[in-house]
Parts: sequence; structure tokens; C-alpha cells
Amino acid sequence: MALLNRMDWYDLARSTNWTPSYVSDGELFPAELSGDYGLPQGAWEKYDEPYKQTYPEYVKVQREKDAGAYSVKAALERSRIFENADPGWKSVMKAHYGAIARGEYAAASAEARMMRFSPAPGMRNMATLGCLDEIRHGQMQLYFPHEHVSKDRQMDWAFKAYDTNEWAMIAARHFFDDIMMTRDAISVSIMLTFSFETGFTNMQFLGLAADAAEAGDHTFANLISSIQTDESRHAQIGGPALKILIENGKKEEAQRRVDIAVWGAWKLFSVLTGPIMDYYTPLEHRKQSFKEFMEEWIVAQFERALTDMGLELPWYWEQFLADLGETHHGMHLGSYYWRPTVWWNPAAGVTPQERAWLEEKYPGWNDTWGQCWDVIIDNVVDGNMAKAYPETLPYVCNMCQLPILGTPGKKWNVKDYPLEYKGRLYHFGSEVDRWVFQQEPERYAGHLSIVDRFLAGMIQPMDLSGALQYMNIAPGECGDDAHNYAWAEVYRAMRAQRNAG
Amino acid sequence: MALFPLTSNFEGDFVLQLVPVDTENTMDEVAAAAAVHSVGRRVRARPGCILRVRRQGADDFLPRTMKVVEAGFMPTETVEIIWEAAPH
Repeated sequence: MALLNRMDWYDLARSTNWTPSYVSDGELFPAELSGDYGLPQGAWEKYDEPYKQTYPEYVKVQREKDAGAYSVKAALERSRIFENADPGWKSVMKAHYGAIARGEYAAASAEARMMRFSPAPGMRNMATLGCLDEIRHGQMQLYFPHEHVSKDRQMDWAFKAYDTNEWAMIAARHFFDDIMMTRDAISVSIMLTFSFETGFTNMQFLGLAADAAEAGDHTFANLISSIQTDESRHAQIGGPALKILIENGKKEEAQRRVDIAVWGAWKLFSVLTGPIMDYYTPLEHRKQSFKEFMEEWIVAQFERALTDMGLELPWYWEQFLADLGETHHGMHLGSYYWRPTVWWNPAAGVTPQERAWLEEKYPGWNDTWGQCWDVIIDNVVDGNMAKAYPETLPYVCNMCQLPILGTPGKKWNVKDYPLEYKGRLYHFGSEVDRWVFQQEPERYAGHLSIVDRFLAGMIQPMDLSGALQYMNIAPGECGDDAHNYAWAEVYRAMRAQRNAG
Repeated sequence: MALFPLTSNFEGDFVLQLVPVDTENTMDEVAAAAAVHSVGRRVRARPGCILRVRRQGADDFLPRTMKVVEAGFMPTETVEIIWEAAPH
């Protein structure tokens, strides 16, 4: 018997909705899980996904993709790419796997919520495939780093990170809990797939795949590219849902969800991807600065996606564009200075050549972040290492959970955005972080940041050893300078030359 | 006498930091406690300058001898630590 062409049956099959008789619609699609937008079921049946795929097609394509990625891994397993890689590149891998792998696995649950509870039948089909994608991404990004665990304890954080109270992981969990683990199916489609994946995972995966290929790490490049092709499909789940909300007078609700998720995603990428692109990746392998990459791949594309959809740019867009040249420099400086509290070894990335590159890409860098680095470099050159490590905690934002920072030096603009709520003083890193809190204070008010936990006596003893224990960073896992300060030699030589002259 | 947490926003530095002080500390002592975590770490000392304390957004510094307990801070309130030319 000849099979029908996909488009001869797809629309009918995926639009099939039950008419429940044993339970009410409200029981079948509870508001907490399905969303409470007051739209009739008929409105959701108009959901029209741009990327249509059936299960047999999915299996065929995924099988080929898996075969490709796994065969590259197998072929290169005896190579010594990892052993010979620049330490900065190893840090890229460690940061990526720890921050992403288990998050992908958790995303399978978010996709599963859309699969079961979305009132839009088309979304349920796409999310079924999306759920399988996320399981695949979780498994691959645990399997691939596993071969390196015996060589380097920090690689164990690919699995371990999400189970710890390490500060960057608290930030990642807080964000993902907010946008994908504790939202209704429609909100997940807007906040996870449209805002986070369309907006930002392109950056992490496209940019990183290019950097990996440049660095000669073809296993990682193939893995990341393979994942990205899934992302670009399931990232399209949210768009049609947004369209339905806007057509049915719910633009404000849709816009608010986009605005919240985009800001949180930006903050997370400013600490994860910004330092990787502008500091960890060896200079000779850098194609674009983080800001250039963001402007070309994220800003332009995302602006178009928003306006095509009939949405506005988020109200903070000007602030966001300005922050593209600033925030991640502070996130890098912070994660470097507090390096014992991360599970990778940050590369300083501040040799004279690298500083010249930073100054070219970010005019004024030397008079701002460079001034802080001047002091750090002097301490390293002088062997005054006690001053090159912290003795207190940075204050972190009660929304993004990342340090509250700004531009230092001659353009000093660091500012707290406080808010008193029910007798407790909250601190935020920006007007936008505070605005997110104000949208739904009770959603966030009970959370304790790492600093709140410290002040509550939950971290004992109240010093670095207590903090490391609390963050589950075992000996041998603490971050330190990726290159063991070899980069400081050039400054030592410059000083010797100056003194001799 | 009681431990009191403040948040330091130190002129020239890039990040807010937690600084534990004592309720009996003067503003000069608060500034010195904040300086421990910024000066010589990421901010160069400025010879000929002293450090003053003000509330975030305020124009005026708090008196140098004012005690923490007298300033009426909320726990973890952010104070700005600002360089000022030393009086002659």
C-alpha cells in the first residue's frame, strides 16, 4: 500500500483534539500547567508550526545526526586534542558542559509539559520531538565529556554542577527554574523556546562550534553543531503561540514574558559566553568579539523576529545594547578574581596583545577594566598573591544571582538597584532585574541568594573554606589561573627592562 | 557592639562587595574596612586622598566620626566609598 505524502495527512492528524467526556476541559488542561489566557480551544487549534516533522522523519534524521557526531568522537578518541589544547580552551569546554548538560536534561521536562498540557495540538507534536531532542542533548553532553573525567577532575562538573550550590549554578538554576520549570506550557514556549533558544542558544552553539573548529577540537565542534540543528527546529515552538496570543488581544502578557526571559538569558550569557569569546579563546582563534557576534547574530536576528511577530522590542533595549559592550567584562573580571569558586580555570586574557585587541574592540577598555587589571597584574608580578584573591563575597543580584557590577576606573558607574519588600532589603544589578522582581514579587521573594545564605549562617565556617564546602567544590576542582600565570612573564620582563633603563 | 553587614560600592572598583562592620564603627572605619577589599586588589591607592562614606545617590558625605548605629542603615544597605582630597 502506498504511503500518503506527509502533507496529505499531517494537518489532520496533528490537529486531532479529544472531546473529553469523563473529565472537564479544565481538568484535562489545568490552568497552572496549560496557561490561563481565557482563549477558546478553537483559537489554539489555529496554531501553525513553521517546521513540520513527523515521528518517522525525526527518527531518520536524528539517527543520521547521532551517527555523524558519535563517529567523529570515536575517530578522534585516540588523538590528544584534549591533552594538547590550550588551557583556555579546556576552560571553555568545562564551563559549557557544566552550565548546559544537565540543564538540557531538565529542559526535556519543560518540553514534556508542552507535549502534554499545551492547548495547541500542533505544539504538542513539536514538543514531543523537542523533548526527545533535549534528552539527546543531555545524554550527549554528559557522554562526550566523560572520556576526559579521568584526566581532569573539573570535567566531572559536566554532571555534578547542577547538584551543587556553586554560585554560577545557583544563577543558572534560578533562571531555568523561572522560565521553564515553573511556568505553564504556553509560557514555556514563549520564554524557553522563543526567547532563550531563538534569541540566545544560537550564540552559544553557533559561536562555540566555530571557535571549536578554529581550535582544532572537531569532536566538540561536531557535537555542538549537531545539537544546534535540533535547537533551530524546536526553538520555533514559541512563535506560533505568540501569534495566537497577539491575535487574541493578549499582546501585553506575551510581551512581558518575552521581556523577562530575554533579560535573564542575556545576563546568563554575559557570564558564560562573554568571557569565553573575549578572554578564554586564544587570540589567534578569535573571529569576532562577543559584542560583534551579539550584534550580528543575536540583535539583528532577534529584532526582526520580534517585529515580524508584532511584538515591541523590550522596553530596556537601549540599555541592553549599551550593556553588550560592558557587562561581560565585569563578569569575566569577577569570575577571574573569585576563581577558586568556579569549576574551571579562567584564562586571564590580558597580555599586552590581548589588551590591544580588547582596546580595539571596546575603545576605552584600558581606562576602565584595564585599570583594575593593572593592579591584579602588579600583584601577580610582585608575587603578592594574597591580594590577587578575594577575602569577601561580591554582592549578588536577587534576580539574576550574578554579581552586581558596572564599569570601573575612569568611567565608574557601578550602582545598586535596591528594593525594600515586606521588610527585607533586596539588591538588584539593574533596573531591569528589579523590574522583573516587581512583576511578581511573591514568585521570587522567598529565594535566598548566596550572600543571603552566608548572612543567614548557612555557610560555615564563614570563610573561603566554608564557602567552597558549601558550593561542593572539592580539592582539585577549585578554579585557578588557566595558564598558571605564565602570561605575567611578559609583564615581568617589561618591568625588568624599565628598571634597567 | 554588634556585627553589621554593609554593601560597599567603592569608587573605581567594578563590583559591589559584602563588608561586615561593627555598629560602633565610625564612617572612617567603615571606609577603611571597605578599602581592604578594593584598594591594592583592583583599585590603586590615591596618595593625598582620604575615603568618605555616603549613602547611594546622596550628594553629602556622612560625618567621619558618625557611628554605624547612628547612621540608621538597613542591614546590607549599599554605601558609596568615595575618594576625597585630604584636608590640609
